[in-house]
Amino acid sequence: MAQMNLDCLGEACPVPLIRTQKALTDLAVGDVLVVEIDHSCAMKNIPEWCGKEGHNFEIEEVEDGQWEIVIEKTH
Amino acid sequence: MPIEKDHQYYDLVVIGGGPGGLTAAIYGGRARLKTLLIEKSLIGGLATYTNEIANFPGFPDGIGGLELMRQFEHQAKHFGVDFKISPVKSVNLEGTDKTVETFRTVYHAKAVVIATGGKPRLLGAPGEEHFLYDKGISFCATCDAASCKDKVVMVIGSGDAAVEEGLFLTKFASKVIMSVIHEEGHMDANAVAQQDAMREPKMEFRWNTVVDHFEGDERLSCVVLKDTRTGDLIPVDVDRCFYFIGYLPATELFRGQVTLDERGYIPTNTRMQTNLEGVFAAGDVRQTCLRQVATAVGDGAIAGFEAERYIAELEVYEKQLMQAEKPGLIYVYSPIDQRSRDFLPTVRELERDFDGKIKVSLVDTYKGECLAARLGAVESPSLVYTKEGKVVGKSRDLARDRIAEMLADLVEGRVPTPAE
Repeated sequence: MAQMNLDCLGEACPVPLIRTQKALTDLAVGDVLVVEIDHSCAMKNIPEWCGKEGHNFEIEEVEDGQWEIVIEKTH
Repeated sequence: MPIEKDHQYYDLVVIGGGPGGLTAAIYGGRARLKTLLIEKSLIGGLATYTNEIANFPGFPDGIGGLELMRQFEHQAKHFGVDFKISPVKSVNLEGTDKTVETFRTVYHAKAVVIATGGKPRLLGAPGEEHFLYDKGISFCATCDAASCKDKVVMVIGSGDAAVEEGLFLTKFASKVIMSVIHEEGHMDANAVAQQDAMREPKMEFRWNTVVDHFEGDERLSCVVLKDTRTGDLIPVDVDRCFYFIGYLPATELFRGQVTLDERGYIPTNTRMQTNLEGVFAAGDVRQTCLRQVATAVGDGAIAGFEAERYIAELEVYEKQLMQAEKPGLIYVYSPIDQRSRDFLPTVRELERDFDGKIKVSLVDTYKGECLAARLGAVESPSLVYTKEGKVVGKSRDLARDRIAEMLADLVEGRVPTPAE
């Protein structure tokens, strides 16, 4: 199980979602992608997309206004 | 490869970060319970999809849903509430060690508040998912009517909500087109609303129609209806489309554990208790007659308060009443009952006579009938005897001699320890 970090700090929607989608295609099933974001709209569209695709995810609020979305690739 | 799950322990876990859940968490945090709130995506729930909340008291000029919810969140954080943003995968709400699992963590809780809310029912028509919420498909006229000034809107549905909200929209929109599945002149709404709607010049009806699909670029621009009799497609250009085809409660996770009504809502009593002890429900997920931020806040306050009381009583019960150190005498009494009060000095005398060999506890039924119920002695005055943390006898007999005799038997080991 590998873990990869994706720095999307300072990037506005829909860039974080597109980069997330692209990064996940390069990972194997069971691998974990940690996406760092500071744009609140990515808090809606990345989880929505993960939910729709069936990937597991969890969000950590690193500090006020900055989050890490931890995504486990399930298929 | 599955990730090994971490275990974390809380007093109170609240599932759902809308106004009901946030309020329950605020009450829990303020009562110094170790409190966790779990939300699947953005804190604030359905309220964050609302442009402006005009009827939440305290904000005479209205306030944005997102902004109001951010204030709730800050208040909860101020009281030490932890937040976790992740969908809940499964729960086990029975017994005293309740668990709520996300994909990486198992959260243990003494009490749980379910505030998962509801979701508007969707049609599932092609194109729908592209235009949900801010892109042209709305679920709340009160929220989004003002942005429909002089615009053409469509309303899907013909029930009370559809017709009444449609009428409200005519105050803003230039035209309100109602798509009704039934034959001409037939609606599901009450007669008064139907009459008003038929008289309203800005309202137009498309009878015998259902949505076939949605069209538009960034935003919704056209709803293509289908005539249910002929199958003909009818494109209608609109600026916004409102659904009033009902809500679905988000309760699938709890099915089989928490009792649900036939529509999936959670019935509670006035103390927000569900069928499971230590499990409370608040807000839109509850079986109720009005679903607003203001009602969710009220529910959340009661649920948070009751959760705290439940945990406090559980602790008194386990640590104090069911202590295993000494034989115990528990006096269940009510301070508003004369006989109860008169016997109190005798209890104190007995405690002195046995000189530290027994543990005397008092349970005031006026303050907490739950504790008495847990003991199985709801009537006061009554006496409960314990040995090694287990109940060995209950009695409503207040004769001092017989009580002293029973206590002596306990102290000198003449009462057998009960089996598990």
